[in-house]
Amino acid sequence: MPHAIRHAFAALSICACTVGAAQADTIHLGAVIPLTGPAAVVGNQEMRGIQFAIDEANAKGGVQGDKVTVQFEDNQAKADQAVLAFNKLVDLQSIPMMFVGYSGPTLAMAPLATRKQVLLVNAGAQADKLSTASPYLVNTLPSTGDEVKVMVKYLLEQGKKKAAVLYENDAPGIGGRDDFVAMFPKAGGTIVAQEPVQFGQTDYRPALLKLAAAKPDVLYVVITAGMPSLVQQIHQMKPDFLVAGSTFAADPAAIADPASNGLIHTQVQIDAPPELAVAFKKKYGADMDFFARQYYNAAQIMLTVLDKLATEKKPITGKNIHDTLFQIHSFHGLIPMVFNTNTATVPIGINEMKDGKDITLKQVTAAQ
Amino acid sequence: MILLQLLVNGLVTGCALGVVAISFALIYATTKIFHVAHAGVYTLAGYAAWWSVSHGVPEPLALLVAIVVCAAVGALIQSQLYARLERRRATHLVILIASLGLLAVMQNIIAMVFSPDILQFPIPWSSATVSVGGIRLTWSQVLTLGCCIAAYGGTVWFAYFTTLGKRIRAVAANPFLAEITRLRPHSVYVYVVAIASAIVALPGVLVPLDLGLQPYGGITPLLTATIAMIAGGVGSISGAFLLSIVIAELQNLSLLVMPGEWSIGITFFIFVIFMLFRPTGLFAAAR
Repeated sequence: MPHAIRHAFAALSICACTVGAAQADTIHLGAVIPLTGPAAVVGNQEMRGIQFAIDEANAKGGVQGDKVTVQFEDNQAKADQAVLAFNKLVDLQSIPMMFVGYSGPTLAMAPLATRKQVLLVNAGAQADKLSTASPYLVNTLPSTGDEVKVMVKYLLEQGKKKAAVLYENDAPGIGGRDDFVAMFPKAGGTIVAQEPVQFGQTDYRPALLKLAAAKPDVLYVVITAGMPSLVQQIHQMKPDFLVAGSTFAADPAAIADPASNGLIHTQVQIDAPPELAVAFKKKYGADMDFFARQYYNAAQIMLTVLDKLATEKKPITGKNIHDTLFQIHSFHGLIPMVFNTNTATVPIGINEMKDGKDITLKQVTAAQ
Repeated sequence: MILLQLLVNGLVTGCALGVVAISFALIYATTKIFHVAHAGVYTLAGYAAWWSVSHGVPEPLALLVAIVVCAAVGALIQSQLYARLERRRATHLVILIASLGLLAVMQNIIAMVFSPDILQFPIPWSSATVSVGGIRLTWSQVLTLGCCIAAYGGTVWFAYFTTLGKRIRAVAANPFLAEITRLRPHSVYVYVVAIASAIVALPGVLVPLDLGLQPYGGITPLLTATIAMIAGGVGSISGAFLLSIVIAELQNLSLLVMPGEWSIGITFFIFVIFMLFRPTGLFAAAR
C-alpha cells in the first residue's frame, strides 16, 4: 500500500511537471467579445479573424517556438458580462492581454485594465470615450468622431446643408450623434431633426417618417445592427434626401441589397490580400468581412509585439506588452498603422454603395 | 399625411401583436402557465418558413410548413415539459423558470443552426410597395394586416362556435369541474398550446417577411402582447387584440410629440395608471 501511494505521488508529480512545461511553451491570450445575442454576427467574425491569425502563426512555429492560444469569452455586448469575463480571465488564468469589442463592454473593462495592468486591444468599437478610457486600452481603428469629421466636410462640399440624424440609443450611437450634432452646425450646416432607435430593432418606419417630415438634405445614420432592414425601409419611402453613415453602415448584406444604392459612408480602409481572403473563405465558408480583417490585423500586431518580447527575453506581462507596442510604434499589417496615442492613425475613405459594391470615392487620413 | 401613415403603420403592427396576444391569452387563460417560450415558437415559425422558401418551397406552402411545425412543437412542449412538471407537482413559478430556460435553448439552437445574423426572406415582392391615397405600404404589411384580422376573426369563431372551442372555454372556466365531467383537461391543454402555437406562426412568419428574422426577436412582441392581454382582461380574446392595437398606435403616434426613446416608457406608464384604476383589465367583465 505505501508503495502504491508513493507510485501515485510520483505519477502525479510527473503529470504536474508535464503540465507546467506545457504551460511554459504556450502563450495564453484572451478575447472578450459578443458570441451570442444580437451582436454575435459581428462577434463571430471578430473571433474568426483572431483565430485565423493565431492558427497561421502557430502553423509557422508560433512565437519563437511558443504556441499561442486565445481563450474566447462571451460578453453578449453587455457591460456586466464583460466585467465577469475580464475577472475570470485575469484572476483565474492570469491573462496579460485580451482582444475586446463593443463600446459599452470595453468602457466597463477599461478601469479594471488600468488597475490590473492588463492590455485591452479594441479593433471594432468606436465610441469617442474609448480614446481616453485607459492607458491600457489601445484602439486599432479611429473613433466615431474622426469619421464624423471626414463625413461632415464631405457633405458640406456636396452642398448638403440640412441634416437629420437617426442614431442607436447606446454608447456608439449616442457618441456618433453627439459628434455629428456638434460638428455639422460648426461647419455651417443645420440639424433639422434627430431620432433614436433601440439596438437590435428592425422597424425604423416611425422614426424615418418623423425625420423625413423635417425635409433634410441628408440623413446621417449611426446604427451598429439592422442595416439591411434600414436600407429597405428607406428605399420603400422613395426619399429625396441623401443617406450617409459611418463604418457601421458597411454591413455586407446591406451592400449587396440594391435598396442601398447611393448610400455613402465613411470607411476605415482595410483590405485583405486575395490569397488571404481565399484561405479565410476556404476555412470558414464565409467572406472575410471588415471585422474579421480588423481583428486579424490586431492579432498580427500582438504577434509582432510578442515576438519582440521573446527576442528581448522579457516576461509576457500586460505592462511589457503595452510598452513594447508603443516602442514599435509603427506597424505594417493589412494597413499601415501608427500609434502616436492610444488610438491608431489609419486611412479613412468615403465610400458609396452601388449595385452590390462598396466603391471608394475618396480617401483621407484622420488627424489624431 | 404623416399622421395617417403612422396610424396605418400602427394598425399593421398592432394587428400582428394582437395575434400574438390572443394566442398567448388562449394558453394562459386555459392552462394558467405563463408560457414565455411562446416567444421561441414565434421565432421558430419565421425560420421554418425562411428555410422552406430557401429550399424552393412555394411561399403559401412555406407558411403552412411553419404552422404545422409550430403546432407540433407547441404540443410537444405541453405534453413533454409542462405536463411532466405538473405531474411532479411543480409550482407555476418552477414552470415559468422551465419556460424561460426553454426559450433560451430555442433561441440559441436557432442562432446556432441559422446564424445570429438578421436574415431577410428571399422574396422580392414582399418589399415592393403599394400606394393608396398617399399611404404607402409594402405587400408584406398588407398581407400581415389581412391575415392577422382573419386570424382574430377565426379565433373568436373557433372559441365560441366549435365543440373544441367550447370545451376549451369550459376547462378554462373551471378545470376541476371539467375533470369531473370527463372533459379531460390535460388533453385539452395539449390542444390549446398546439392551436395557439399554430396561430402565432402567422405573425411569426409575416412580421419577419417585412422586417427580417432574428433569433432573439421574439421577446419584445411577447412582452407587449402580454401587457395587452392583461390590460384587455385575461380571457378576453377581443380585449387582448384591441389593446394590442391601442398600444401599437400609442407607440407610433407618441413619436409626433416626443423622441422615440420615451415612447415605450410613456406608453407603459399610461397602462400602469390605467391598471391602477381597472386592475382586472378593460374587458374582464365580458369573460
